[in-house]
Amino acid sequence: MSATEETKPESSSTTLLPPEFPKGHRPEVFSDPAIDQLYAAYVTLCTELAVAFDRIDTLERLLEAQSGISRETIDGYQPQPEVEAARQKRRADLAARLLRPFREFRDDRLARGGHNR
Amino acid sequence: MATFNPHAMLPETQHDEQARQDFVGALRGHLSARVMPGAYKIYQSRVLPAFVAAHGREPLDEQEVRSVMTKDPYYQFWSALQRRSQELLWESVIDPTERQVHELVNKAKPRRKARGSLRLDPKLPIPRYHTAADIHLQPGGYHTEFVADDVAAGAIYDKGINLYMGGALGAENDLMGNTLVAYLRERHPERKPLRILDIGCAIGNSSVVWARAFPRAEVHGIDVAAPVLRYAHGRAEALGVPVHFSQQNAEGTDFPDGHFDLVVSHIVLHETSKSALVRILAECRRLLRPDGLMLHLEIPRGRTVIEKFMHNWESYNNNETFSRYMTRIDLCAEGRRAGFAARELTLEEFRPQLAATQMNYAEHFFWKILVARKRAAR
Repeated sequence: MSATEETKPESSSTTLLPPEFPKGHRPEVFSDPAIDQLYAAYVTLCTELAVAFDRIDTLERLLEAQSGISRETIDGYQPQPEVEAARQKRRADLAARLLRPFREFRDDRLARGGHNR
Repeated sequence: MATFNPHAMLPETQHDEQARQDFVGALRGHLSARVMPGAYKIYQSRVLPAFVAAHGREPLDEQEVRSVMTKDPYYQFWSALQRRSQELLWESVIDPTERQVHELVNKAKPRRKARGSLRLDPKLPIPRYHTAADIHLQPGGYHTEFVADDVAAGAIYDKGINLYMGGALGAENDLMGNTLVAYLRERHPERKPLRILDIGCAIGNSSVVWARAFPRAEVHGIDVAAPVLRYAHGRAEALGVPVHFSQQNAEGTDFPDGHFDLVVSHIVLHETSKSALVRILAECRRLLRPDGLMLHLEIPRGRTVIEKFMHNWESYNNNETFSRYMTRIDLCAEGRRAGFAARELTLEEFRPQLAATQMNYAEHFFWKILVARKRAAR
């Protein structure tokens, strides 16, 4: 699934993507649905943090092994505009992943039980 | 996480995609080994005593356990995390599949030199037990097509069930096929089936095991969903194993009477419905030759009321709508309803060696096998 539908219009014209949410009953575990949403967002946050840790670890090991790049160089890095644009997209994707449970609850209220995209 | 053998049909993962899948695997392993067993402990230590104090007796069935356990904060904690981990595992395999779907479609296309075959029926109605809810929360289920000649559901399922079961299904998702082959060799060593039917075969992960175990046999796999069958064909060819896949409903196939020596299924029956179950068993009986054997592998549904309640988690939270009814069904009685004689049927147990990180709902795991040996005509 794409994290932000808005950022991938080119793919949606050639590929009809799997729905973001499975069809069927969505259980509510807690008496307040906000708690369900928070749990779901919390697990996603852990996942994305694990992904980031793995990537940082890969980078640090490659830098150490294949170049003399120091920590001072990394600390003083200033992103170019195109780099910043790519980072903005990445942040938006992260936010979309984290906020998926809230979107599902929102969409669930609009069309309970059906596929939504 | 146990190793998973790469093959040509599996989508390749980029760095972050792989990291996401790895974390979901680690999270589910932790939930199974460290969090889920706590639900049994809190049942014994506080939920059961409170129930006994209120009612003067223990719960009679899994429904009564459900009425109190779902209000316990520890159970709620585990249940919310288990549900989210299930959603995440599909999300983590959908990303790379989506990125490569057109390549995968091309790879799966039947070739002239194929060893097996693929026969699709676009007019076949998809049963309601597939379309009403996406089984196991896999978005789109097994049957939805997103591109022409789609295989995405198969690719998503292949890696997805590996994560689902913490790698327990084996390096080629072959545990269930291996279990039934081992059962056949142990309990019926004289049997050398020459024509085998695998019903509800999905990506053919078990069909391939049967074809390898009995290389002289003609192995057929049927399923109602085209995307998983196209993938199954591409996968079996990539593994160099001949299997004949066709899009058919096991409730009524186009194979002749008495066509098969052996009819098998691997945790399929609990995904169907009460009426479909009887029709499937009746069709199995029709397809067996005299003295032919039917083997349906089924997942355990628990022995105690708390175990039954925990196994039913999948039914209420993971779109296994029918499985809560399976908890109360006598499979041999359903077999008799389908036309088998009582003496033809047995329900047997077979135990796999699973690690704690691989058991999602209980600390004990016994496969159930519904066995029928069709008596030879007099």
